[in-house]
Amino acid sequence: MAEAQVPVTVLTGYLGAGKTTLLNRILSEQHGKKYAVIVNEFGELGVDNDLVVNADEEVFEMNNGCICCTVRGDLIRIIEGLMKRKQKFDGILVETTGLADPGPVAQTFFTDEDVRARTRLDAIVTVVDAKHFLGQLEQGDEAEEQVAFADVILLNKTDLVGEDDLKKVEGTIRGINPLARLHRTQKSQVELDAILDKGAFDLNRILEFEPDFLHHGHHHDHEEEVTSLAFSADRPVNPEKFQKWMGALLQLRGGDIFRSKGILAIAGAPRRYVYQGVHMMMDSDWGAPWKEGEARSSKLVFIGRNLDGANLKRGFEDCLT
Amino acid sequence: MKLDIANPAWRQSLPPHRSVAGDAPVAACAFNREGKLAAFALGDGSVRMLPTDIAAEPPQPAAPFHDGAVLSLVGDPAGDGFVSGGDDGRLLRIAADGGVVELINQKGRWVEHLAQHVATGAIAATIGKNAYVQKGGEVREFGPHQSTVAGIDFSKDGSRIACAHYGGVTIWSLGQSGGQSGGQAGVAPRRFAWAGSHVAMKWSTDGKFIATGTQENDIHVWRIAQATDMRMQGYPAKVKSLSWSADGRFLYTSAQPLFTAWSFAGKGPEGKPPLQFGEEGAGLLTAVAAQPAGEYVAGGFDSGELQVGDVKLRQSAVLKMADGSPITCLDWSPDGQKLAAGNERGDMLVLDLRR
Repeated sequence: MAEAQVPVTVLTGYLGAGKTTLLNRILSEQHGKKYAVIVNEFGELGVDNDLVVNADEEVFEMNNGCICCTVRGDLIRIIEGLMKRKQKFDGILVETTGLADPGPVAQTFFTDEDVRARTRLDAIVTVVDAKHFLGQLEQGDEAEEQVAFADVILLNKTDLVGEDDLKKVEGTIRGINPLARLHRTQKSQVELDAILDKGAFDLNRILEFEPDFLHHGHHHDHEEEVTSLAFSADRPVNPEKFQKWMGALLQLRGGDIFRSKGILAIAGAPRRYVYQGVHMMMDSDWGAPWKEGEARSSKLVFIGRNLDGANLKRGFEDCLT
Repeated sequence: MKLDIANPAWRQSLPPHRSVAGDAPVAACAFNREGKLAAFALGDGSVRMLPTDIAAEPPQPAAPFHDGAVLSLVGDPAGDGFVSGGDDGRLLRIAADGGVVELINQKGRWVEHLAQHVATGAIAATIGKNAYVQKGGEVREFGPHQSTVAGIDFSKDGSRIACAHYGGVTIWSLGQSGGQSGGQAGVAPRRFAWAGSHVAMKWSTDGKFIATGTQENDIHVWRIAQATDMRMQGYPAKVKSLSWSADGRFLYTSAQPLFTAWSFAGKGPEGKPPLQFGEEGAGLLTAVAAQPAGEYVAGGFDSGELQVGDVKLRQSAVLKMADGSPITCLDWSPDGQKLAAGNERGDMLVLDLRR
């Protein structure tokens, strides 16, 4: 009974950024699709949908003591429960609290076999309050981590700030996460195909990424800054060496590496080797084939805290043939 | 009732059965107290009752009782029908004639797990982080626990309930006069700790042990009197179905390709492999149920196959062939002569093992 996996979109963002507005926007559009919505108990506004499930954001640590192996047990339970319904869904939307760490949500979709069998994490969408983001960075790690984890970022409430300030905020966001698709929005108004069915975790759909390092921000006043590092190489990668290195690296440093992603060229292989990680969890597989005449270069990006650039560079170069 | 499991002729034919197709996954099945009716909790909100006399004409299906999916179902220990919990936040008492009484209504919450105790007529339900015990027209609340309750069961004598949650199991004494807050006004509840998420729980039939299945594909068992615990590993998947034999000697578990029985006779199962038996090749067990007041065990597989096993013979016989739809629930009639089973596709089965 190989039914299609239901796509799950995670909506995150700091308090008041516009998550619930976005959620209601998705639900009220005439798309003819049926969504189950998992909201947190402290939701800011009412959500208008006939299938809303309250979640308590129950994070637990695995008994193995690995601090990165925290997952959302409530999501596992709720997804299992939703699958008992007669009515099937086109998608599941998970809204997190404004102070939530997106890590455990993402890790849930990597670790739990039952969840993996029924659903697939489609993308993490983070709503950023253009007016308050820089201030929120100073209040704690949450706003920064939510941006670091994102596949799609809505830079929202752009009507409340001037172009110069917007550029500054954008620069800061890019300094944290150069990979995410960034959309400027007002009142969370965005085309749904910009946030739904992105396949951000689908190894077959990761064809190319172009880290946007162009306008790098400067917010060095924040202590343990989240940054990103990208490496590329024209020589092919040895897959065994890469697996071994990445496995050991994430085991050791996975707590600080929020997201990592790679498209690798393997000697003699007609297809890309695609890799991605969320903290210590990693997933890799053969991806789409290289096109005729396409330059076969390997790229690797890390987003995290206290990244040791020299060490990562050396590690990656050691994997090249 | 004696099943002739070792006899090749017996093994060759399938038992007489009734099969009714529903169009939503079956979440739970149960028999009523008298064993005259089997009921099935469906994902369309309905509770379908079928006579266990498989020759009798089944009544027309009733309209759905719940608005959403029915998540849990037990036989009513104080009536002739059933008690059901739904993702509409309602706990319903359904009489054999279809009459419905609402016991709890908490909109926006799920009534996920139920247990019943026949001798005392009590029903226990879980809603979020709390447990509720309904008895003699009164509903009492126990909790909140540190996370959503993922399993609930009565002690053998019905004087206590155990709730599984993150970090272990909590036992509440029902005898305490606690009014609204359950046992809190009396003796403090007992906690049995083991880190991580517990996803299933069963109190042993002799009252001495509590077993849980964990998120990390283990089972964990506490000896209540000694407050010691043990952990059994080696499962390829989460153990979501646990069942104690009627005499309390064996704990049967799902998530194995064979019937798996941990022996609690003598010194217990620590350091010893479990007994394993049955017909391999049917996939992994998804539901197990030990026969009440008997020695057999029924098992449903993710391939849809059903088997009945005999731990003494270490043998099993097929009761229903695989059909691709995982078995989601299994229950025995109180007299141990009939079996009810449901699957993901929505098929409802009643098997008569007397032949």
